[in-house]
This record gives sequence, structure tokens and C-alpha cells, in this order.
Amino acid sequence: MRAIFAIARKDLRLLLRDKGDVFFTFVFPVVIAILFGFVFGGGSNSGSKLELAVVRESDSVLALGIEEDLANDAAFETTAFPTRDAAADAVRAGKVTAAVILPKSLDSGLEGLFSGQGIAIDAVVDPSRRAEAGLIQGKLNELAFRQFPKLFANGDEMKRAFSAARTSIASARGMSPTQKLLGAGMITAAESFTSSIGDEDASTNASGGGANGAAGNTADFTPIRVKVEELAPRAGRPRASFDVTFPQGIVWGLAGCFGAFASSLVTERARGTLDRLRLAPITAFHLISGKAIACLVAGLLVQALVFAVALTFFGSQIAQPAMLVVACFAAAFAFAGLAMALAAFCRTEAEANGAGRGAILILALIGGGTIPLFFMPPFLRTLSYGSPFRWAVAAIEGPFWRDTPVSEQVVPLVVLIAIGFLGWIIGARALWRPFAR
Amino acid sequence: MMRRNTQSSCVHYPSQSVLSLRDIHRRFGHTIAVDGLTLEVRAGEVFGLLGPNGAGKSTTIAIATGLLAPDAGAVDLLGLGSPANPKVRMHLGLAPQEITLYAELTARENLRFFADLYGVSNARARVDDLLALVELDARATDRVATFSGGMKRRLNLAAALVHDPKLVLLDEPTAGVDPQSRNRILELVRRLASEGKTILYTTHYMEEAAKICDRVGIVDHGRMLDVGTVADLIARHGGQSAVTVERDGAEERILTADPVAEVARQFARANSDRERGEVGREVTGLRIERPDLETVFLSLTGRSLRE
Repeated sequence: MRAIFAIARKDLRLLLRDKGDVFFTFVFPVVIAILFGFVFGGGSNSGSKLELAVVRESDSVLALGIEEDLANDAAFETTAFPTRDAAADAVRAGKVTAAVILPKSLDSGLEGLFSGQGIAIDAVVDPSRRAEAGLIQGKLNELAFRQFPKLFANGDEMKRAFSAARTSIASARGMSPTQKLLGAGMITAAESFTSSIGDEDASTNASGGGANGAAGNTADFTPIRVKVEELAPRAGRPRASFDVTFPQGIVWGLAGCFGAFASSLVTERARGTLDRLRLAPITAFHLISGKAIACLVAGLLVQALVFAVALTFFGSQIAQPAMLVVACFAAAFAFAGLAMALAAFCRTEAEANGAGRGAILILALIGGGTIPLFFMPPFLRTLSYGSPFRWAVAAIEGPFWRDTPVSEQVVPLVVLIAIGFLGWIIGARALWRPFAR
Repeated sequence: MMRRNTQSSCVHYPSQSVLSLRDIHRRFGHTIAVDGLTLEVRAGEVFGLLGPNGAGKSTTIAIATGLLAPDAGAVDLLGLGSPANPKVRMHLGLAPQEITLYAELTARENLRFFADLYGVSNARARVDDLLALVELDARATDRVATFSGGMKRRLNLAAALVHDPKLVLLDEPTAGVDPQSRNRILELVRRLASEGKTILYTTHYMEEAAKICDRVGIVDHGRMLDVGTVADLIARHGGQSAVTVERDGAEERILTADPVAEVARQFARANSDRERGEVGREVTGLRIERPDLETVFLSLTGRSLRE
């Protein structure tokens, strides 16, 4: 075992000390995942408009005003949705960044404000878009405040509000009779004040006073409450384009390992270090096992790294963690086998590098490593069955975001393990030959 | 005329054969690399395999280590059988002609890796000792890629010693290094020999062979032409020494078995001429050319070792 671990440790050290291998194994896959994530619509939209789904459940002046201002705001691109569920679906599917719900409660207009309840607006966001959620919350507050002048200038709205406030004071339990009398007097005074001024003045004065007055009634009174809800992911649908692109990034990382280890085996042969290994009291089994462990560890490391980035920075969530671990092992095993097979066919380092990179590119292109399979024409989708990329992506996506039943994950796992075994047999035969004297 | 007579007490197996190759044949396609070669390396000696490039030295080494199977013939290491057996080849260490190290690992990491492969106990101490032996302890944590050619050669040699083998095979260990590094490597080989290691040393530099080898085998076209101490080989194949005398602007080349006596005779003749008053007969220059391994090779093959 000591010899096997020595070989594995040595190969991992060599991998980590080769800048090119480190880039293609660990950096490139993350870059690919993020880049394609943005390309396929998961980006932060910085510099462009945030796409919002707007559900207006109220026909009140307040709701209409907020909807109109949202549509006119340069920061947003709004689309009207009939129901909350439809809007939430659009958020889950990554079609819009968030959904804004203007609820039925807005029918009460200023009544809620004067009765101490404030105005409530709901927002639904994808957890992976928390950065945008803050912006949306602030904007909604601003837009809601912007409605107050219109409401104060609206006589009917004001009458309804004063009436509701008077009723609210009369029924309030925590107020003494004196406080109730004073409150009712204030409402009457305010009512006669607002009815005595013209529309334009009312519009100007009420803008600040209404908000400030409401805020001054109680210390914790919030005139506008924007409630932001994070959506729970729905099984079987990517919550954002990053859910699709990170598995792609992972297979690119595995491909990087595959290229690096194929090249390392050829290098051992070309530079004569294989002869030193053959002279040592080890067998081909030790050498192959050591290389296998190194390749597997590197493959698992790259997968862990890519998932860490996905979970930490892009709000991804894993549907079936245990199955994902199995899929990661199977994918790493398959690509390690491919590395062995490639090394068996190549005589020189240049051959391994050229053939390795070429094979990776072709297999990635047809296997959905760059463009997701659902964007491909049917014949390419059929061709993709010949690419280990396809099977690796399928195996990882299943437990990652698709939440595929375990029975349906068996096929890609079996195919990956078969690819791995085949590659190992081909590679081992080539390595075994020099050891058989 | 064994150079290392005074060191014989360090040799553990004075008469035992460490490596024996009997009638080895090996061809690559139509090219005959080794053609019926036989040699025996005795315990504690430095055996030099001297021959030009392409003579079959490296193929012989590969067969001796078990890296290459002979087409015919037998190899035996320490009386244990063929080195193709991992348990047998444990007893040999090879420093190949190429630098077979991992350039991106440090000197210490390289040696530690090979120590782990051989299951060396107390590997850390062993690696430190070897780094000190090859004078690379100050560069232990530097990557091999940053080393000079001579430093790489020394580390290449240290990697062959990591498991403390009985037989060390050094295939052209000074190829491509500067004279200073070459001297350090030769000094290292001498030191290993003095510590009782048996060494098979291939080279095409006759000076090296003459300097450090107890016995030398002359190889050409895959055949062992002769084996013996340097003195024996010269005595057998070197022919006579040449004394070249410059007199009166002319040179006279005299072949003799006893160059010292010949020089004395020439001076005596010059004195006699002077006494007789013969002007212009005085010796103005004198040069002695003793036969060496180059002469031996020329005599055995009809061509120069350097061709």
C-alpha cells in the first residue's frame, strides 16, 4: 500500500505543480460554468434591466400606480402574470429574476396606512438571485412612497382613509377615552384641512406629511412593508441556468484531469521514469492503482470545488446528496479510465496532449459539454450517446437538480462505470506489458 | 596492479560474482545490439564497460537490470537468478543515462518517492544521508527543474542508491556535464567503491575508465573484446611506448618496451656526441607516449574510440 500511495501522492503533486494542468482541471471548469450560466440567462443583469413578473391582484389606485411606475422604471422589464403561481413558475424556471405581487389588500389604499397596518407588497425571488432581491425591495419601497401624493390628492381615497381611521380609533382597546377623543379630533382637523385646500396643494403637502405622520404614530410602524419570499426549488426543473452549466463545468474539470493524467503516463514512458518504476519491487497493479487513486482524487476534488462554488455563490441546492456522491465517483472513474486508454495509444507527450485535447473538444461538443443537449438538433442528441460527457452530465444532473428517481439514474451510472472499466483494461494492458518480463 | 589494493578490507565478498552475463544475444529488428556478450562483475569492484556510442553498453545494462529480456543467454544476480524477478532486482540500483527524475518535484521529494517505492525503513534519514552524500542537501527543497546538469546527474545517482543496493549500475553517469561536475561524480563513485559497493560503470571516456575502474571490459558491436585490469589490457594490446626525440630540427620516433631506459640512452648518446665535438646533435626535445586504453581499443578494433 505504501508504494501505491507514494505513486498517488507523487502524481497529485505533479498535477498541482503544472500550471497548465491546474488551470484546465480546476479553473477552467468554474469559468466555463459561470460563463455559460450567464450566456444561458442566469446572469446578474448588471448593466441591463431586471426582468420582473408582476401580478396585480388589486385594482386600487395604489396597485395601478405601482404597476405603472414599475413598467416605466428604467431598472425593470416587467411582464404581467395572471396568478402568483404562474409568476413563481417563471422565477423557478429562470425566465424572470423575481415576481412582484400587488396583493388584494392594496384595495384598502390609505386605510391600511392610517389604521397602523401599513401597505404590504410581496416579492418572490430565486434564492440564487439574492443580490437582486435587495435592489428590488428598495425599489418597491421607493415606488410605494411615490404613490402617496396621488392618494392624498384623491378625495375619495382620503375620505375612506379618514373614515377607516376614525373607526379604528374608536375600536382601539389600548387607548384611553381621552386619547380616543384627541385622536378623533386630529382626524377631523386633518379632514377639514385636506378638504379646504386645492388639489395641487394637497398633492404637495400630503406627500411628506402623510408618510411622516403615519411613521410618527408608533415607534415601530412601517408604512410600507415589502415581504420578500425565497422560492423553494421545484423538483425536476433547474432553478437557474447555473444548475445546468455547473454539471457541464464539472465534466470539463474531469476532462482536464483526463488530459493531465493521460499525459503523465506518457511522460513517465517518454522520460524514462517508467523504467525506474519498473526496477522497483512493484508490479503493474501497484502502478495502475496508484495512478487510479490520484486520478480519482483529482476528479473528486474538482467536482467538490465546482459544487462549492455553485452552492456558495450561485444558490444551487443539491436534491439528492448521497446519489450525487455516487455519480461523482462514477464520473471520476470513467474519466480516469479514459485517461488510461488514451495513454495506451499515445507514444509521445505531444501525441497525448494533441490527441487528448482534440478528443476532449469533440466529445464535449457532441456530449453537451458546451451547449446543453436540449438546444441541439435531434441527430446531434442521438450522436451524444457516444460521448462520456453526456453520461457524466446526465449522472450528475439527476441527483443535483433534476431530482430524478434513483431507478432512472442507474443507466448513466452503469454506462460511466462501463466506460471506466473499458478504459482501465485498455490502459492496464499497455502498462502491464513493460512489467511482464 | 589493482588500484584499490589498500581498500580490499572494505570489500565484503572478495571472490564472489555479483553479476554474471553469459553469452547474451539481443537484436532489435535487423540490428544486432548484443552479440554473445559474456561478463562477470566481482563483489566490491568497479567494473568499467568501455566502448564507443552504439557499442551495446546501454542494452547490456538494460539486460543486466532485467528491464530488457535477452533473446538468448543467461543473467544471474548474486547467485539468486534473473533480475527479472522483483525480489532479485531489489539488490541492484540503476542510474540510467537519461535523467530519470521528476523535474517538478524537489530533490527530497524525488528521493522520498523512490524510497517509498522500495519500502525503505526510516526513509527520511536515508534521504537526508543521500542528499548529503551527493552534496545537494542545501538544495533539498528546490525543484529538480532548477538544477544544473551536474546536480541532476548526482541526484540521478542518489536515486539509484536509495534502497542501499549491493550492485550499482551507472550508465554514462558523466554524459553531458562540465569537468568540475564530472570530477565530483567520479569522486562519488570512488567513495561508493570504498564503502564496498559493487559498481558496473559504462563510459566512452577512456580516462574515466582508467581512473576509477578495477577492471575494464572493451565492448564493440555488442561483443566483449577483452576484459582485464587497465595494466593487463595495455600489456596485452597496447604495444610498445614511443619515445620521440627532437634533434637538429628533426624528430625521431623510437618504439620501446622500456621508455625510461630509452630516454637515458638518448641522453648518453647526446653527451657522447658533445664530447666528440659534433655540433648540432644535441637533444632539443623529448616526448614519451605510453600506450593507453585508446591504443588498446585501436589495437582491438582497428579504429579509434573517439570515431
